[in-house]
Amino acid sequence: MTKTSFMAADGPPPIGPYSAGVQAGDLVFLSGQVAIDAEGHITGYSAIEQARKVMENMKAQLAAAGLGMDAVVKTTIFLADIDDFQNINDVYAEYFSEPYPARSTVQVAALPKGVKLEIEAIAIRG
Amino acid sequence: MYRSFKQEIVSDAVPPAAGPSSSGCRAGDFYYYSGLLGLKPDGTTYGASAAEQAWQALGNLLQLLAVGNLDASHVVKTTVFLTDLADLAAVDEVYAQFFTPPLPTRSTVQVAALPMDLKVGFEAVAWYHM
Repeated sequence: MTKTSFMAADGPPPIGPYSAGVQAGDLVFLSGQVAIDAEGHITGYSAIEQARKVMENMKAQLAAAGLGMDAVVKTTIFLADIDDFQNINDVYAEYFSEPYPARSTVQVAALPKGVKLEIEAIAIRG
Repeated sequence: MYRSFKQEIVSDAVPPAAGPSSSGCRAGDFYYYSGLLGLKPDGTTYGASAAEQAWQALGNLLQLLAVGNLDASHVVKTTVFLTDLADLAAVDEVYAQFFTPPLPTRSTVQVAALPMDLKVGFEAVAWYHM
């Protein structure tokens, strides 16, 4: 078995040397999701707007692998400003139910394209 | 027992891991690599630029992959830590030389600092199933 890559047909294309998603046996890895659209434009100015786009992008990438949000086991949230955490968390919480994925949340110095958040995820198949 | 599938990955060809960590750790079919910095085996910095340091760090990754008879094609996910996102383009030029499609997934962030004033660091996950 070898790893395979995938990506949502109408999702934002990678803007660097990486795949949107990779499947490795029972695990599915997603690249860090940011609030960009299929044309690569940032959508949303506020953390809430960007969080919504990030979660929708994540959902679309998982769907491309035949998975739903309930397949996610681990996420990492990178924030430009930790003060946005509560607002982002409220949006994030709409997409998951128990058992929730494990999660780490940190404030970083900066994110590509000046976005306010980036969320990566690992999901499980089967 | 899970412990029989947990294995430390070490190599003299890379700098020794800092603190209570391994350069790499195998977990069954998955291999986790950390502390991928632009350091030579003697622990000193290789190069002043982010590009040079990326080259050394990813070279260290290849050495660790080789311990388990793996190569860059087995890498499924990386994280790129930069102290300045302005270095991303130069780092990408180096990074793209190490990986071919299907490319690993990736997250990129600018961090406040890295050990030893380095400009770029990576972590990586590889997968091999017979």
